[in-house]
Amino acid sequence: MRAAALRDPSHVEPGLVPAGILAVLVHLLFLGFLIFGFNWRTYPPENMMVDLWSSLPPPPQPAPRPQPAPPPRPVPLVQPPAKPVPPPAPKPAEPPPQVKEAPPPPPPPKPEIAVEEKIEKPKPVEKKPVEKKSPETRQSAEKDQKERIEKELRAQKEKEEKELKAKEQQARVAAEVERLRREEEAEEKLQAQAAAQSRLSNEIAEYKARILAKIKRNIIMPPDLPGNPVAEFDVTLLPGGDILDARLRSSSGHAGFDEAVERAIFLSKPLPVPPDPALFPKFRNLNLKVHYRE
Amino acid sequence: MNATIIQDMSLFHLIGSASLPVQLVMLLLLLTSFLSWWYIFRKLFVIRQAIRQSDEFENIFWKGPDLNALYQSAAASRHTAGSMERIFEAGFREFIKHKRQPGMDISTVMDGTRRAMRATYQREMDNLESHLSFLATVGSVSPYIGLFGTVWGIMNSFRGLSNVNQATIAHVAPGIAEALIATAMGLFAAIPAVIAYNRYANSIDRLATRFESFMEELSNVLQRQATG
Repeated sequence: MRAAALRDPSHVEPGLVPAGILAVLVHLLFLGFLIFGFNWRTYPPENMMVDLWSSLPPPPQPAPRPQPAPPPRPVPLVQPPAKPVPPPAPKPAEPPPQVKEAPPPPPPPKPEIAVEEKIEKPKPVEKKPVEKKSPETRQSAEKDQKERIEKELRAQKEKEEKELKAKEQQARVAAEVERLRREEEAEEKLQAQAAAQSRLSNEIAEYKARILAKIKRNIIMPPDLPGNPVAEFDVTLLPGGDILDARLRSSSGHAGFDEAVERAIFLSKPLPVPPDPALFPKFRNLNLKVHYRE
Repeated sequence: MNATIIQDMSLFHLIGSASLPVQLVMLLLLLTSFLSWWYIFRKLFVIRQAIRQSDEFENIFWKGPDLNALYQSAAASRHTAGSMERIFEAGFREFIKHKRQPGMDISTVMDGTRRAMRATYQREMDNLESHLSFLATVGSVSPYIGLFGTVWGIMNSFRGLSNVNQATIAHVAPGIAEALIATAMGLFAAIPAVIAYNRYANSIDRLATRFESFMEELSNVLQRQATG
């Protein structure tokens, strides 16, 4: 009896079922946290654009738009020498032949009349022998004819030569024009590049000034330092203006001022950096000089 | 290219696309985690009740009521009694039995009483400590199980990478993410188990100390009653 009484632990364990329910609840909570509290990326990350610039020149691409203004200026400068040549250039194709054909037959109208003449001439030859029948006249007529034919041939040759010459000249002129145009273009490009370069450097200077201004705003200046101490910092930036590192390059001689500047640099954390990624390399390692007094 | 990047990275998709061993590991971990949480709550209730009942019984006992009446009520409510009450009941029953037999040496009576109380005490302690070892095991082993699943998953995703000409992070990322879920589950099971184990072991130790001091004190009380 006693053994039974003792062995009968009959430990009615409390809350078996509630414990199970609670366990399930905990897991549901965790699952819910995983699903809703954690941002499982179901959309693609925003497209990352990576531009690889081998050198800086590409930026001029935006420049050409403002550039159209300058080109007109160089053109007049360059063209004076060119002008004497171009005028013949466009026209030579038609006028020269006209001028050259003219000499052989003095009468002004050219090709058509020449053909007519040719047709007319044979006729007299035929008529003359029939009417006069004298060999002299016939001979003279033949001579005349021969001369005429020779003349015509010569004229034709001359014409051809002249045409050839004209063509050559034309080609030369065209080449010249092309060369000039190319030169102009190259010059334009150079100018655009220079303009872009200056714009870039302007922008860089502007942003550097902005960075300095922002830092200055955050400096809590230690009072009453003698003179105008300068603290120089090397700041390493990340794209977007975050500061990776700021090292004191040359101390101002006043530890308090150095520290104040360093604190201010980190306080102004997203530093204003130009949005143009091509410019960022200029800001990656920034050298900042902060003057105590401006 | 884009098609490989745009992937459904939702939790269920990740789990669903895991390889079979990894899924098995996850299932095992889920079961382990569920069991360990179940035991955590069960032990929480048990230990809380034990502490509360011990408090109540000590309160009554030290008010100095008639020990016989206390014994009667303890024997009557044996099924719902707390550990301390059971120890008292076992010790007092033994004491009465020895007292009824004439000519018993007092030290023999007290020895028997102590033995009876110690037996009950050990049974009670065993009851309190049950399943605690399970929590300890879960706490120490489930991170390794999760790690196993993760290593397996990463192995697979890297093996798949070897067949690709142009290896990008997009090829391995989903595999690694799904594999890491196993580690997360292992840790989710292990951390509460370790915390609970330490906490409960401490509570049970303190209860054991209380029971032992009560046994000594009760022995003294009974000895005085026997001689007096």
